[in-house]
Amino acid sequence: MSRGKSGRPTRPSGEAFWWALFSAGGVMAAIFVPAFILATGFLLPSGDPAAAAEGAQRLAALAGWWPVKLVLLGVITLSLFHCAHRIRHTLMDVGMRRLAGFLKLPCYGGALAGTVWLALVLWGI
Amino acid sequence: MAETKTITLELFRYHPETDSEPRFQSYEVPYDEDWVVLDAINWIKDYVDGSVTHRWSCRMGVCGSCGMMVNGEPKLTCAAFLKNYYPFPIKVEPLVNFPVERDLVVDMEGFMDKLQDVKPYIIRDDVNDTSEGEYLQTPAELAQYKQYSMCINCMLCYSACPVVGHEDDFLGPAALALGHRYNKDSRDQGQSERLEVMLRSEAMWGCTFVGECTVVCPKHVDPAGAIQQAKAMGAQEYFKRFVMPKGAGATKGAGA
Amino acid sequence: MSGGQYHRPHRRAWFMERPAYIRFMIREVTSFFMAAYLIVLIVTLAKVGVGEAAAAEWLQALSTTGWKVAHAVALAATVWHTITFFAAVPQAMPIYIGEDRLPDPIAKIVMGYGPWLTATAIILWGVLR
Repeated sequence: MSRGKSGRPTRPSGEAFWWALFSAGGVMAAIFVPAFILATGFLLPSGDPAAAAEGAQRLAALAGWWPVKLVLLGVITLSLFHCAHRIRHTLMDVGMRRLAGFLKLPCYGGALAGTVWLALVLWGI
Repeated sequence: MAETKTITLELFRYHPETDSEPRFQSYEVPYDEDWVVLDAINWIKDYVDGSVTHRWSCRMGVCGSCGMMVNGEPKLTCAAFLKNYYPFPIKVEPLVNFPVERDLVVDMEGFMDKLQDVKPYIIRDDVNDTSEGEYLQTPAELAQYKQYSMCINCMLCYSACPVVGHEDDFLGPAALALGHRYNKDSRDQGQSERLEVMLRSEAMWGCTFVGECTVVCPKHVDPAGAIQQAKAMGAQEYFKRFVMPKGAGATKGAGA
Repeated sequence: MSGGQYHRPHRRAWFMERPAYIRFMIREVTSFFMAAYLIVLIVTLAKVGVGEAAAAEWLQALSTTGWKVAHAVALAATVWHTITFFAAVPQAMPIYIGEDRLPDPIAKIVMGYGPWLTATAIILWGVLR
């Protein structure tokens, strides 16, 4: 990274790109994720095998519909990048600032891996 | 004679020619309900200890030179009334996140540098002759940036911001808000020049929206809001440049 | 030895220094819980991909107390994310009608709570119908 006489970098960086994903993901997460948790954490699970089977059926029917797949892909992917960015900056804020560059790998790399995994999963439903 | 009420001020003292470490010195000051912390410090300097060094000028929240930490909070000392602290002692320190020059005086050089980086003035491609009159602006266009133009450079926001303390490359709340103020000005054409600077790695993106800059701002500038808007503007510029590298006119003047 | 400027020492635990910093940290840490939930959600979808029997088994496992508590924590974290995110909306995206800025509560409803409640209602209707 080239630095000017003030010691600060002199060229634009890719931070804008990650921030854009973070920002879009923040909106998606705020609007959709609480309802997702209600659904898959509380409404669909059941200790009763018959009820659980019915829940699985509902979920399969929903997730098998392509508009729902698109929403899931968009919301989960962007939310993952939102979390990745925030986790990276939280770690920087608590003293890992020197690792700012390196942290991109596990954080954004993890979100990217999650995206690929999710895409494969949705493809297979 | 009636007993005069007093209040204790603990002042941060540091004289570089004799001190290697700062120390605190206590002063008993006559308590007056109408007095602000700045009045008390001036009283100390005038009547007790002339070696106390501090900055001040207008006494009315306009000049922005009397910012200090008052009981750990960044405040304009001309607006911090003794009665809000009485009868407890008041601890006064120089603004945090700045090098201390002497006693309550900090070094503003780094801040001034950052301020210059965002080019806080109107930039025009075509400068009209003065005979053509002013660049006109509607009240609605003025409303877009007016709030961000109220900054008095008191630097309280720099003391409230943890990122300023950790990240030297971060331009900081006031400078970014001022850059945004000009980016939002309908008369200005220097947006991409400024964004060129703001797009640098931690210059603006270091901000994690703690939001305390806005809370401590005596002029209700809302730097935190300005920075988030500037980020959105910067992201747009980033994608625009990605789509059109060397963008026709878009990155004009963005040398380096 | 006389010094030049005095530089305050770095404060490692700066986030404990002010209540506002602690609130900030709580907001940031919601992302750890949200990320954990998103992984569980992808696992749930993966089970659906394997087959309804596997999904039913997984949903039965998720009904245990431990998972319920974990989901309750994730829900609290995510709702906190939602609230704090919408609180920032009027600052980050002010809407002007002429010279006047749309009042903050209205901006929050139009760009935040309105869409949130609508989306939540649609999702719950989709799951429960």
